[in-house]
Amino acid sequence: MYSSLVRLQNTFGFFTTVAFVVALLISASDFLSPRTPTVNVLKTTQLQTVKGRADYYSSKKEEYAIIKFTLDADLSSLFTWNTKQVFAYVTAEWPSAQNNNATNQAVIWDTIITAPSSDHLGNFSPSKLKRLRKSANGKGIDPSRGKLQLKNQRLKYPLTHPTGRLANTEDVQLKLHYNVQPWVGFLSWNQAQDWGKWKALKNGLSKKFTLPAIKVKEQAKKKTTRA
Amino acid sequence: MAEQLLEQARDIFEGQIDFEGQKLVENLVNISLSIVGVRFYHNPLFQQTALTSPQAIAFLVGYFLQDIKLAVYIGLAGTAATFLLTVPPWPIYNKNPVKWLPVAGAAPPTNIVIDEKMLR
Repeated sequence: MYSSLVRLQNTFGFFTTVAFVVALLISASDFLSPRTPTVNVLKTTQLQTVKGRADYYSSKKEEYAIIKFTLDADLSSLFTWNTKQVFAYVTAEWPSAQNNNATNQAVIWDTIITAPSSDHLGNFSPSKLKRLRKSANGKGIDPSRGKLQLKNQRLKYPLTHPTGRLANTEDVQLKLHYNVQPWVGFLSWNQAQDWGKWKALKNGLSKKFTLPAIKVKEQAKKKTTRA
Repeated sequence: MAEQLLEQARDIFEGQIDFEGQKLVENLVNISLSIVGVRFYHNPLFQQTALTSPQAIAFLVGYFLQDIKLAVYIGLAGTAATFLLTVPPWPIYNKNPVKWLPVAGAAPPTNIVIDEKMLR
């Protein structure tokens, strides 16, 4: 510590240690806040199977499922001071046709819910950013974030299968997932069971349903252009 | 003349402080940067003052106000203040200069003055 340079180095060296310990404490503080995500409603409101192509130049005709669903979920308890954003997504899952204990799983819809502390990082339009800032009201946590309310939501991503066959598929279920992305610490996904103050996602599965058979040709063509 | 200037510039750049000052700086760095329980448990005085250190404040304020930006800003501001406090050779760190013993043996020749300070 006898010269300025040595003092600079020592102070900075100790600063890195301290910053690391503070980061550890922040990430550990996550375990103190309860997580009680719940799903009130997750159900399909419209089911349809149509024939179509992946794109205009694709020669392969595949079957696509058209699903509309209603979701009412409360993920607001996932937001703490250390939450940067929550990624919520809905998958469709169904057992493999070959009966080999495999599960088909495809994401059909997703969204990124930013915490007020990361609004500036999101790729938002100025008006949406303004609305988000207003709802946060200068606070670090906004309880209205994380409340998902979708009605007759269309698929965000086309749902098909590598075999190209999807009609009459049985035991399909929709499932809500989430992924909490903290400022410091580990990513965490929805849990299958309770873990301390972190409770498992309740009601995250829809009822099992069967995808309908393909309708007559004229109708199917019309729907394909829309899908 | 040029050598003198160089010497002065080097002194300023090096910013040397005395031993007591070094001890003080060491403690100041530890207290002002630390959080409770890190590194300075050997001195009970520091355990009390550590509660007021910027990083501890940053964490506690951030946690209780649930605002991570505030925590980062407090932590960085506190760190900047610590650098300002410890890096320059403030006069307080030079209060106890080393008193060298007079040169043993023959008395220094009176007609040649090498360095007024060194021989006193």
